[in-house]
Amino acid sequence: MSRSPEAAIARRSLKQLWLGAVIWSVAFGGTVAASAVSYVSTFPTEAERQQVAAATSGDAGLSVLLGPTTAIDTVGGYTVYKCFVFLTTIGAIWGLLAATRLLRGEEDAGRWQLVLSGSTRAGRATAATLLALLAGVGILFVGTTVLTVAAGRDPDVGFGIAESVLYGLSIVIAPAVFVMVGAVTSQLCRTRRMASSWAMGVFGACFLVRMVADAGPDTHWLRWATPFGWTELIEPFTGNDAWPLLPAIVAVVVLAVAAVALSARRDAGSSVFASNDVTELRPFGLASPLGLAARLDLPILIAWCLGALVTGLSFGLIAKIATGAVPESLSDTLDRFGAGGSFVEQYFGVAFLLAATVVALIAAGQLGAASDEESTGRLVHLLAGPVRRATWFGGRLGLAAAGIVVAGLLAGVGAWAGAVTQGVDLGFGPLVGAGLNVVPTALLVLGIGAVVLALAPRAAAVTVYVVVIGSLLVDLLASMVDGLAWTARISVFHSMALAPASSPDPGTLAVTTVLGVGLCALATLLFVRRDVALG
Amino acid sequence: MAHAIEIEQLTKRYGSVAAIDGLDLTIDEGEVFGYLGPNGAGKSTTIAILLGLIRATSGSARIFGQDVWREAPALHRRMASVPSEANLWPALTGEEALRFLGNVHGSVDEAYRTELIERFQLVTDKRIRAYSHGNRQKVLLIAAFASRPDLLILDEPTTGLDPLMEQVFQAAVREAAANGQTVLLCSHILSEVEAVCDRVAMLREGHLIETGHLDVLRGLVALRVHAAFDGSVPDLSGVDGVTHVAVDASSVECEVTGSVEPLLRALADGGAVRLTTREPSLEELFVSHYGAGSEA
Repeated sequence: MSRSPEAAIARRSLKQLWLGAVIWSVAFGGTVAASAVSYVSTFPTEAERQQVAAATSGDAGLSVLLGPTTAIDTVGGYTVYKCFVFLTTIGAIWGLLAATRLLRGEEDAGRWQLVLSGSTRAGRATAATLLALLAGVGILFVGTTVLTVAAGRDPDVGFGIAESVLYGLSIVIAPAVFVMVGAVTSQLCRTRRMASSWAMGVFGACFLVRMVADAGPDTHWLRWATPFGWTELIEPFTGNDAWPLLPAIVAVVVLAVAAVALSARRDAGSSVFASNDVTELRPFGLASPLGLAARLDLPILIAWCLGALVTGLSFGLIAKIATGAVPESLSDTLDRFGAGGSFVEQYFGVAFLLAATVVALIAAGQLGAASDEESTGRLVHLLAGPVRRATWFGGRLGLAAAGIVVAGLLAGVGAWAGAVTQGVDLGFGPLVGAGLNVVPTALLVLGIGAVVLALAPRAAAVTVYVVVIGSLLVDLLASMVDGLAWTARISVFHSMALAPASSPDPGTLAVTTVLGVGLCALATLLFVRRDVALG
Repeated sequence: MAHAIEIEQLTKRYGSVAAIDGLDLTIDEGEVFGYLGPNGAGKSTTIAILLGLIRATSGSARIFGQDVWREAPALHRRMASVPSEANLWPALTGEEALRFLGNVHGSVDEAYRTELIERFQLVTDKRIRAYSHGNRQKVLLIAAFASRPDLLILDEPTTGLDPLMEQVFQAAVREAAANGQTVLLCSHILSEVEAVCDRVAMLREGHLIETGHLDVLRGLVALRVHAAFDGSVPDLSGVDGVTHVAVDASSVECEVTGSVEPLLRALADGGAVRLTTREPSLEELFVSHYGAGSEA
């Protein structure tokens, strides 16, 4: 029986991305459901909803940062507003990174050339990969929609099935379009890193245009210019306008055709843009394995640290607006996270829980890079030399830990700087302390991932994602659903004080740090004793 | 003479499968030793154990008298290796990769490295990602030879090299031997092993089947002959040196060891109209001399 080579290519690509898509789809759906459920419990009466709407609607600053605030007095309107920036940003970045990994990443590794030596052509192979990527977007859609429909069955939430489907579609516009953006930059650029950087540049430009579009009525027409604007224009649950799906479909088709056409016209292994393959010697990082790891991973670590800084800054900038007019019931909700103190301190306490997620995920990237070093066979060049296994493994973990500490610090500094510009001054010390308070928990996550790296290297990065995103969801759900309160104990964030609302307990900080470092030490012992994967 | 490598009853099992089973082998200091075997015979497993990358299930392996697992980092200062898969850091240039590998090893003969770069005709300001497989292999070979180690472990090191560069490689091995360095060369290219090695060992399905001087190898080397006839095929079974005769209609295929004269005479007398000869592959030699065995 003859089987289509393109079907095999699509299956292999889907195999590489389905797990991540499933994890994110559950995270997306869980976030939407948690937002809707928390709204109806926080603002149970019409009067309270009108109060929060009056405090936020028409606020240009809030719209620029977080998107449309026009229908916050409804469950659907609030849910769309609350999840908009978070889900579209993560969806877009997931989409573009998945595309550059499966297209330019495979070509970088030489596997794409192997695929093309079979009975297929570059254009057809690219099209098959794009279909698999769209299937991944489909998984995101299904997870988001199913959990939205499930939350909507609560009579107080009351989402209809059709409008939930439309909402699911609006959320996957960004990942679908940016999958195609990544596909095009994979044809233009010579390396995966360059392709991802260019696609991130397009993302940044679209994000800025979206912010301008939401700045006031004069610029609203710009909403038609970006995928984020199309998502806004659909106005799920309130306006329910399906027309903005049309430019999204056109953009996906045009970019897909461009990517397929470009791949069909160029040589395998080359790129449309000329690449700089001949260059002068740069001695930085060539003195030791740790130096080289720092040289190769520094751009990624800097990006994560900047991400933590921007996250802190964003929460600081909207501190005043977010805490300006709140009903008692919202305070109650924050109380249920365990936060005490003034309302603005409670707000920052929960904000740093989200910042902790960003900081903890640094471990995933670094453990993934270490696993890659081993699976490609490059580690053999080091360990067949006089490099001690513990030195290499410990160096890798040390680099990740350094990134975590710097990111935690920057999250605190960013939150302080953002808040000060808005006239909210909780003091430099408490907010930087709150940033550093997330570090022990992130080190614990690093320790868990390190043990997995020592036992089953390929599963390390995925484990970190599952632990961090799973813990965040568990925390969100446990704080909102009384019957699930006990589940908070399994979250890695359970023992983390919500500083600055609650004072971190030095004993807990010390135990968490020792546990994290102890797991890293255990992982090093396990790695020293096991066989190295031989590539 | 002192032993560079001593292997006793070395076994490595993956579940119920033995990659190598009860291996005994000794290599003297200053020897160039050929380690031969078809794909999957267990050569790379042996090398991974010698490099301390994987742990033996049982038995022992020592290099310069030290245990390969427990003393790995200290031992590796006296060794250099080249794996068969030349995976390097794609963003580095050839020069940067050589500097890094030199720094990691800690000992480099800079002048010899420069000389080797010229002899291997390596363009060093190109990034690794733009190199062919052969050029990446050259980077590893130059780094290994330039560290002037007491022991070189080379696992199929000439994969991807053209015949000219193969000659450069063989010259570098001879220089190493002349300097008293020990070389363990894993290969399945008979001519390469014949050209540089003093002794050889042959491995098959995890077991050593022959060890000795090159004569062992030469005894195995046979010529595979195919001859076509206009009429009937003569009977070659009694001809000196001829084995493995297979007749197919008007043609015959056989192997000949030693002098080819008796066979040529028999073929000419039989009216051969066309004759082709070739060296059998290592796999064919193993099958013809040691049987097909149980394929994994």
